[in-house]
Amino acid sequence: MIAGITGFIVLGDPPIGAAGSPHATIPGMSVGGDGAARLVAIGRAPFYFQLCVILLAASLLYMGVAKHRRDRRFFLLVAAATSFAVFVWYKTYSGYEVYLATGQTDVVFGFPVPTNWMLWGVWASFLVFDAIYVVAFRTYYLPHEDEAAFEALVAELKAETDAAANAPPASPPKAPLHAPLHTKPGDA
Amino acid sequence: MEEMRQSIILSSVFIYLLICIAVGIWAMRRTKTANDFFVAGRGLGPVVVSLAVFSSTLSGFGFVGGPGLVYSTGLSSVWMVVCSSLGFAVGFTLISKRIRMIAEVRDTISLPDVVYARYGSNAVRLLTAVTIILGVLGYLATQILAMALVLQSILTPTEMFAGISLVACVTISSAVLIFYCVTGGIIASVYTDLVQGIVMIISGALVVITAAQVFEGGLGEASSILLAHGGEDIMPFGTLGVMASLSWFFLFGLGLAGQPHIATKMMMNRKLSDNRIILPMTVIGYVVAAMLWISVGMVMRALVIGDIAMPLGAPDQAAPAFLTNHAHPLLAGIVFAGLFAAIMSTADSFLNIGAAAIIHDIPKAIRGRALNNELFWARTATVVLAVFAAFFALYSYYENGELVALLGAFGWGTFAAALVPVVVIGLNWKGATAKAAVAAISSSLIINFAIQTLQIKIPYAISAGFISMLVSMILFIALSLLEKPKMLPKDIDHLMDL
Repeated sequence: MIAGITGFIVLGDPPIGAAGSPHATIPGMSVGGDGAARLVAIGRAPFYFQLCVILLAASLLYMGVAKHRRDRRFFLLVAAATSFAVFVWYKTYSGYEVYLATGQTDVVFGFPVPTNWMLWGVWASFLVFDAIYVVAFRTYYLPHEDEAAFEALVAELKAETDAAANAPPASPPKAPLHAPLHTKPGDA
Repeated sequence: MEEMRQSIILSSVFIYLLICIAVGIWAMRRTKTANDFFVAGRGLGPVVVSLAVFSSTLSGFGFVGGPGLVYSTGLSSVWMVVCSSLGFAVGFTLISKRIRMIAEVRDTISLPDVVYARYGSNAVRLLTAVTIILGVLGYLATQILAMALVLQSILTPTEMFAGISLVACVTISSAVLIFYCVTGGIIASVYTDLVQGIVMIISGALVVITAAQVFEGGLGEASSILLAHGGEDIMPFGTLGVMASLSWFFLFGLGLAGQPHIATKMMMNRKLSDNRIILPMTVIGYVVAAMLWISVGMVMRALVIGDIAMPLGAPDQAAPAFLTNHAHPLLAGIVFAGLFAAIMSTADSFLNIGAAAIIHDIPKAIRGRALNNELFWARTATVVLAVFAAFFALYSYYENGELVALLGAFGWGTFAAALVPVVVIGLNWKGATAKAAVAAISSSLIINFAIQTLQIKIPYAISAGFISMLVSMILFIALSLLEKPKMLPKDIDHLMDL
């Protein structure tokens, strides 16, 4: 979807000044011009583009927890965080569209309202995923039993290395743990 | 106080440089092996790692280029900052645990080592190392040049150093950088990052307060001035527009985890469980320091557009001009030191991973084993790399400005495009294959190089790095699905289940 929308945008005919134009009198500075005119050729494609990016990001973050640990509660947590990110994006973009249509916006906390949604909202909406990581760390990301399993693996490898180092030269080598063994490829 | 402005700035920078040298001497005693030199023996605490991760992420670009971009194009570039919470979430959720585990199980000291452990392919290891070297050269040269230009701008107004040349400034700044990187390796690097991170956080916080006081009506008045003169610049997508901003969000948000200088630091913490503390500290530290990016650029733009200040000679002068005209001398001193900190914290990380690629990864990929006496060669490679980058920076400045820009294209965008599929997806999906990894890395190098050399302009100012990252991700997934995955080594397979 992201590639499709990008292709649609890139292959279209962009209007003049689609990416701004130089300021008439100030060197090194650009101006945006007529924001609505810049979007005529692509319509709401950027809105849907970012929706897809949010869903991709959420999918990747969902994938960051081992498959057997992804329970219903974790799914709901990620779904809620994703919904919040989508809501913030909607408020950012729709607020911008209103500004383009009316030329009016309020300034709150030092910035126009849609800019506030972008500055604090977009950042905070993904901060929720950071919070999930911190709060649910021992439940999903590094449960005590996983940590113990890892320590056991390290100990096993160390014992294997020590045994190989102490073994007489003539003894047959034991298959190391990092030798290819049958596994289930395709599992995430 | 005002008449002592230059002396205060000079003293702050001098003290900061002395601290770096002192840390280098201290760290030398703790650096006994190549493992210490490259990954600090995997024994760092959470505070050190978190400050090292965020200060390496926010380079001189953030402190100089960032305000310059906001001055030039409004808030378009701020999407590179607001995506940081996503970037760190992706990094910690998807790779920090696996990289740290692989580092311990396979005794890896670099990202190409981790990639080799995952794919069992020397071709992937070699391509990763080559990508790192190409990126490091461009990044390092621009950081050294930026450092020298800032030093020159500080020294020139003084009587004693009025006519100091750029070559002398490159020599001084590179000498300090080389000293602590060679003596203390990554240990010196991360402990100077600790100092640098603290200086950057203090700078960012104080500058926001100062910026808010430039106008009587605070930042709201600055916004009103900008709204009265067009307004697109202060709206969410700046003057470059929606697609430029969103493509940066994608590239910087999802691409952060593919940056080798950041990923490498994730294998240095003492305990796996420290990640729970490192993530929030990193996110908060980064956003506070990055406030400077937004506030300075916005205020300088409003001042110039509102006819209150004269236009700047170049956008990158936004931060220095703000500090000179609006900041208290003490604050200017701290922020100039912070500026050095931002540049050096990134440069030392790149020196370290570049040296590892040269003396460890490439020999291992080609002849199957590392060099003897790796520590000696690591120090030698660090010196050679830094000196080469310094010459390269000077050559590009005086003779051929396009060279650094060309290699600069092998910076963030290429790292993201080449390494996000291979590392971020590959460490979480057993179906990923070595051939797909080779194709992803190769395609990202080719696309970035082609766009840069052919000077292709993408409509709506969409980032070239985003295009190459998207292509390489699609290629990586599609080729992996088409191929039957090979069996994984038992230890890696086991780790990927955790």
